[in-house]
Amino acid sequence: MAGVVEPLVLPDIEQDQQSDVRSDLAPGFLVICWDDPVNLMDYVTHVFQVVFGWPKTKAEHHMLQVHHQGRSVLTRESLERAEHYVHQLQKYGLQATMERD
Amino acid sequence: MKLLRSTGGGFGFQFERRERRLLLGILQLYPLIPASYHRLSKTADPEQVAADQKLLDEALAAQKVENQRRLLAMLNAPGRFKPEADGYELTLSADQVDWFLQILNDVRVGSWLKLGCPDPSKEPPADPTAENVHYYVAMEFCGTVQSLLLHALDTPA
Repeated sequence: MAGVVEPLVLPDIEQDQQSDVRSDLAPGFLVICWDDPVNLMDYVTHVFQVVFGWPKTKAEHHMLQVHHQGRSVLTRESLERAEHYVHQLQKYGLQATMERD
Repeated sequence: MKLLRSTGGGFGFQFERRERRLLLGILQLYPLIPASYHRLSKTADPEQVAADQKLLDEALAAQKVENQRRLLAMLNAPGRFKPEADGYELTLSADQVDWFLQILNDVRVGSWLKLGCPDPSKEPPADPTAENVHYYVAMEFCGTVQSLLLHALDTPA
């Protein structure tokens, strides 16, 4: 039995392709809010609370990210949901875009 | 201007006569943010998102037409500005406050764009001229009213 060799399992070179298919099906768009020095900080917090239904602490966290880092990734969504959120944020006058993840 | 009261159903704000006049004049600037200001994406090929961008532009334009209609209706509603000894009392529901914030922010951001996007933290941002001084006034006044409305939303009934 010593001569028995376990079959060698080679790396699945098609795995990346499968991942791509999965990521196409999953939500794949980042909704980003960009800094605009003219928007009041409290206003941006208010908009995040209204649009996403977030508690004030979470809305403030993202507002501060926008303020200090120039942008904040607010959520990752499907194409349709991301478009919806971008429209809502722009309706309030914020600079928001959706970028493919 | 100040918050007079916050109840479960809404808010009462006091405006002096000159403040009301200024507010009504500034609101005539709405809408001020140009459609080109809002982009769907910063990284996507513009040709690939052209159709979606067009839909977004149309949705925002329709929204602004509806806002203009609603703004006129709101300001002309009987009793909206109730005369008082010291000026006027403006009454707004919580939903109206949220919506009014959008209008004021459009005029504030639009004025800022008209002024060439100065950094508001720097004093003075730039020398006002006869041509643009009204945008400075609009930007500052809208910010003051926005702060009042946001304070009201945070004030328990």
